[in-house]
Order: sequence, then C-alpha cells, then structure tokens
Amino acid sequence: MSAIAARPLKRAWPLVAEQELRDLWLAGRGLPLIFGYSLLLSVITYLVATNTALNFLEQRESVNLTLQVAVAVGALLVLLGAADAISGERERGTLESLLLSPASRLSLVVGKGIAALSIWVVAFLVTVPYIWFLGRGLGVVGVALGNGFLVGVLLALFLAGLGLLMSALSSSNRFSLSVALFTLLALFAPTQLPGGAQQSWVGDLLQRIDPISSGLHYLGKVIVDGHSPGQELSWLIGPAVAAGLALAAALAASRSLNLRGGPS
Amino acid sequence: MTLAVDAHGLSKSYGALKAVDALELQVPAGIVLGFLGPNGAGKTTAIRMLTTILSPTAGSFSVAGVPHTRPIEIRSRIGVLPESAGYPERQTGEEFLRYHARLFGHSRSSARERAIALLDEVGLATRGHTLIGGYSRGMRQRLGIARALVNDPEVVFLDEPTLGLDPAGQRQMLELVQRITKERGATVLLSTHLLAEVEEVCSRVVILNRGRVVAEGTAAEVARQAAAPRRARLRVAPDCTAPALAALSDGGKLSAAELRPGELELTFSAEAVPEAMSAEALRLVLGADIPVLGFELEGGRLSDAFLAMTESA
Repeated sequence: MSAIAARPLKRAWPLVAEQELRDLWLAGRGLPLIFGYSLLLSVITYLVATNTALNFLEQRESVNLTLQVAVAVGALLVLLGAADAISGERERGTLESLLLSPASRLSLVVGKGIAALSIWVVAFLVTVPYIWFLGRGLGVVGVALGNGFLVGVLLALFLAGLGLLMSALSSSNRFSLSVALFTLLALFAPTQLPGGAQQSWVGDLLQRIDPISSGLHYLGKVIVDGHSPGQELSWLIGPAVAAGLALAAALAASRSLNLRGGPS
Repeated sequence: MTLAVDAHGLSKSYGALKAVDALELQVPAGIVLGFLGPNGAGKTTAIRMLTTILSPTAGSFSVAGVPHTRPIEIRSRIGVLPESAGYPERQTGEEFLRYHARLFGHSRSSARERAIALLDEVGLATRGHTLIGGYSRGMRQRLGIARALVNDPEVVFLDEPTLGLDPAGQRQMLELVQRITKERGATVLLSTHLLAEVEEVCSRVVILNRGRVVAEGTAAEVARQAAAPRRARLRVAPDCTAPALAALSDGGKLSAAELRPGELELTFSAEAVPEAMSAEALRLVLGADIPVLGFELEGGRLSDAFLAMTESA
C-alpha cells in the first residue's frame, strides 16, 4: 500500500473531544440522558406552574425552584458522563488502544472532559423554554438564565473534574460512579440544614464552602430576593475554587493515567 | 546489526511478585520474533513495558532506536495489537481506523484513505461501514491488526493475535503476520501459543518463563537447547531386535530398550548432542550388518523444548 505521510500531532485534545462528542451525542447515552432530563423538567414545570396558579408559590420562586433543579440535575449528568469517561473505557478494554497512540494522557482527559461538559450546555439549552414559560412577564428570565448558566458552568466544571479524577484513579467503573455520586449526595447535605442551623456561622460557613449549596443559594438571592449579582458574588467563590481544585486534580491525575487505575 | 528492540535488565514487580525479572531482549530489525511462554510467564507485561503502557520497575530499553525515556516518540513508531483488545461497539470499522489514524497525525482526508487501504489489506473492505458490534472475533482481530498498522510502524507487537480464532482464522492471521514483515519490512514481535506455526513463521524465538528468558535463538537452536532427554525410535526386522540391542549396548551416552519386536527406543543422556548420538546409533547398528528399516528422532521439536523449559524451570 502507498504510505501517506502523517505529521506529528501537536495538540490531540480537539480531536479527542470531537470523537468523544460524536460518540456521546450520535451513538452514546447523551440523547437518552437529555430526554430523561427534559421529561423531569416538564413534570417539575407542570407542578410548579400549577402551584403558582393556585398562589401556593410566587412566580419568582417557581422560576428559582425549576432553575435550581435544572442546574443540580444538569450537573449530575455531567458527573455521570465524566465518571464513566476513563474507567468505562478501561472496563470495555478500549483504553489501551488510546494509551498506545502518541496523544498525551492530558489530551485524552481534556478531550473527554469537554465531552462531559457538553452535557450541561445541551441541558441548559433544553431548560431555556421552561424558564421562559415560568418567568414570562416578570422581567426575570434573562437574569435567571444568565446566572443559572454561570452557576451551572461552575458546578459542571467542578463535577467534571471530580468525575474525571475518580474515573482516572479507579479500576472499576462501578467504583468510580459510586464514589462520585456519594460525594455529590454529601455535597447536597448542607442544603437540607434546618433554617436555624443555616443562619448560624457554622451553617453559613458550610454553605459557602460547599459549592452546590453556595451556588444554589446565590441563585435564590439573585432571582427570588432580586439582589444584584455583584452583591452576592461572594457566594460564587466556593463553586469557583472547587471547580479550579477539581480540574487541577483531574489534570494532575491524567499524567499518571494507566491501564489498571491508581498510581502507575 | 540494527536492533528493533533492545532491552536490558527490564523488570516489573507488583509487590513481592516479579512479573518480569531482568529481561534481556535483543530483536534484530526486519524479523518475526516468536515471544513464547506459558500463561503468567510475563509476556504481556513485557510487551506492555516495551510499548510504554507500563513503567518498568528497573532496567532500560529502546524500540526502533528510541530510548524508553521518550515514550510518545516510541508510540508513534510502533503498532500494537493488545491482548484481549476491546473495540467501540457503536463505531464502524472505518470510523475506528480513521480516528486512530488522526491520532497519529493524519489529516482528515489521508486518515480516510489510510482506513480504506488498511481495511482492504486485512480483508475487511466490504465491512468498513458495519458497526464493530456486529463483527466476529476474527474480524475484530483483523481490525486490531489494521489499527496496529495505521501509522506504518517500524515495530509491530502482536499479543495473542490468534486467541479465540478457529484454525482457518489462525491461518489467515499468521499469513497476515508474514505479510507485515515481507511487504512492509516491519519487525514483528509475536506472542502466541501456536508453537507449530511459530516454527513456520518466526525467524527467531524467545521463551519466557516466570519473568525470565529461558531460551532464545532460531526455533531449531531453541529445540536443541532443551534439556529434555532426546529419544529416537529405531525399526529393524523383528528377528534382528536382540542383535541390535547388543550392538547398541556399546553406545556410551545412549541406551536402548525394546518396545516390541522390531522396534527399539533409544534414549540419549542429557549432555549428549542428539544429532551425533543418532549418527553413532546408526553406525553401531549398520556396523553389525543389521538393516535399518526406520529411524525417527523424537524430542527435537520446539514444542518439546517449550514444555521442557517451562515445566522444569
């Protein structure tokens, strides 16, 4: 056969991301996940709209509640995608072929991370009409969508980093998903603190440290209380720091990415 | 002599277990090397170290002249069919090859050309648009070989390429291996359990046992290195059995026993050279004017050497 010259690949991550996006959205679980997500959002929107019509819930609160569910579930889907990204390949026996390519380990992890993050972008696009429907005529739709997207991006970055870290280190897909989901559930705990505990300095600190609690708290302040985003920006420090740390840890773990999981 | 693989003191330990123990391996360029050993001998671990998938605990190596300290460069110059490789079920064969060609630096169009050419080369030209999930075991193995050739490698590592294939599939796979060396000039390191085929296909063999090289050379050399006692069958006329036994009693390093009238089993001592002993046995019998009806040397095959070296070590 004729030899066709290949050039050394300098940056493989766009190529890996392209293939992962194709696998996720054209042949993988992306569409079924988003279909389930939109069904859930439809049910929530119906219930919230009914309660609003009966004056059980203010319109701003209905927008906030639906957006919080959308952000939390969207971020959860990102976590599922990221936690499966490497350990899933490991279990299916397809990781070795990727590791045998000259693409750097970092490129593989970054490409897979981008695919996982795309789940939040698509989930957000699906959310837009629901929020528009609930918030129409109130002048809050733009603020809700803008801030919802921002918080969602921070949480998606955090959970993508966490999922990729677990996925890179664990030899079993089940273990990686379990640990990531358990961590996510633990992060939801501060949102369930009783009102009194939330007002105490310990409760306040917990909520600020916990990226999910602080992100959702920020949305409530901006959408329901009508505060300006600048006023409540300190609530986004937790999600931003958590996202940075989780991504840095995932990228560091990518350097020792190997066939068995754990340190090489 | 140019070496395609040059490993010195290569070791890999998992706790107290030494999977590969101070492996010394020199593979001349352009040959097919049979990499043999029983299950758990360390073949796959050695291949994974040489292909930069595993880090060695100790030792050094170079592949295609590139030292192990430059793993990305090594990976760009080798092709590998891993043991029990998995394939993305929802990609077509062509998509799979295109993706891997692009990972090796091909442009979108040249990756497509390369994928189509390779599918043709491994006999999957008509199945390029079929999802891999619908491929048989043999087709997947051939696709794996195509993937290993996607970068026109200098050294190809094939880890159990015939595993799970029927005899026809095994034959096709070995023909493909031969073509890789003949037509592409690549060096092939072939790990397999098909000893008879190894004798046919491989220029040299290495036998690994418990992480160490226990024999290496051509198949004939390795067979001779086996420490197993050689045996031979001698057939004479039934009434010549006793005279033949008497003649062979002077054989020194060989002993003879009657199996049945007209058939004797000769056993050579471990330090004897089998060919010399065979000649000596025939000289003694013919010297006694006993016609020889048949003579067959046993224990001179690679499989005998393999069993002797891997069972006794």
